Amino acid sequence: MKISAAAATDEAVDLSDALLRCARGDQQALRLILETEGGRLLGVAHRMLQRRELAEEAVQDCMVQIWRKAHQFRAADGSARGWIFAILRNRCLNILRSGQRLESVPPEDLTAMQDARLHASAAGLDGMSDRIALKDCLTRLEPAAQRAILLAYVGGFSQGEIAAIQAVPLGTCKSWIRRGLELLRGCLS
Amino acid sequence: MSMDLDTRADIFVLGLLDEPTQAELDAALADDPAWAAAVARARDRLLPLDMTAVELPGAVSLWDRIAPRLGPAEPAAAPAAVRAVPAAPVVPANDAGPPRRWFTAGMAAAAGILAGVMLGGSWFSAEPVVIAVLMDASGNPTAVVEDFGAADARIRFVSAVEVPEGRQMQVWTLPSAEMGPVSLGLLAGAGGADLDPPRLPVPTDGQLYEITLEPAGGSPTGRPTGAILAKGLAAQQGA
Repeated sequence: MKISAAAATDEAVDLSDALLRCARGDQQALRLILETEGGRLLGVAHRMLQRRELAEEAVQDCMVQIWRKAHQFRAADGSARGWIFAILRNRCLNILRSGQRLESVPPEDLTAMQDARLHASAAGLDGMSDRIALKDCLTRLEPAAQRAILLAYVGGFSQGEIAAIQAVPLGTCKSWIRRGLELLRGCLS
Repeated sequence: MSMDLDTRADIFVLGLLDEPTQAELDAALADDPAWAAAVARARDRLLPLDMTAVELPGAVSLWDRIAPRLGPAEPAAAPAAVRAVPAAPVVPANDAGPPRRWFTAGMAAAAGILAGVMLGGSWFSAEPVVIAVLMDASGNPTAVVEDFGAADARIRFVSAVEVPEGRQMQVWTLPSAEMGPVSLGLLAGAGGADLDPPRLPVPTDGQLYEITLEPAGGSPTGRPTGAILAKGLAAQQGA
């Protein structure tokens, strides 16, 4: 049986409820989110940033943002976990796109970081249960489209970087991604 | 080029739009329910990819650095000459949140320290070109750098710092993106020191200063390699 992401999430701890309590000013609820999701949040951030101190910074900022924005969460729209991880990813992308933030990373480390992000992106589907429909649907895409989507989502690469990695013009890359996403939605619906 | 709502949401969730567009669409989440719903669907579609990341230990220990940053941030007035940022920006560039929230308790404390520096007036005879309050990751003021330009700068610590065995603090500034970070000197301890910077362009408003933990004897590469202990942006002094 294929299950959707939304159905697979928010199971053990009621994250929606925790967000509601955060919005009411209950710090214990935020701590609960850190306790239950923190390990994975740190893992996602580390996969994208490849440096422990940057990943920790991203998770800390993410938790503060969750605290401040909890009142904006609408459970009717989607899962609490999806909302929480989107905040983390956003923070990671900000760190990656801010040249100043990476200023203190030595050039040789930056190269290693890019390599590790590439590797992590390629392995993005590893470990995903066959029961998750997204796995089947991503696997059905053209390899170039699948790779581009994983580079963006898992590695946090920009469109320009993805085009460079795949050695194609930006326009080609954009249309691969767009077409891939459309097929993905069709497959998942 | 028109794009349907769901495709736009997917691309937004992948983070592929240019930064101003990304920021604009992020702000729109608060007041466009149809857009917010499309984005929430897109997030849930791709969320299983986040679940393939390996869980890492140690997240809960971050709480002590998170908790001090919570709570309603009371707007606090700061002198116009003072500008400081916490080591980790609380509000990302694409967050249209209330700018007053930048003025956290740490900021207010930093402002107080600077006011003390300026009112005290007896520390140094010359007037620094810029002052930077360096904050740690939690936004607590750690040190104050006064850069007089002309290869003369001083640092003073305003809170206790822990330097692990075998490491040494090194002070850096970023005169420009082209030059990259430049060492202002190594610190023997946390007692404050006259730094020994090379001759650099006159420091400017907003210039970055930071302290990193380097191997004893200083960074082996001549660039920062260790964890950032504290950092802050310079505020121009005088007229």
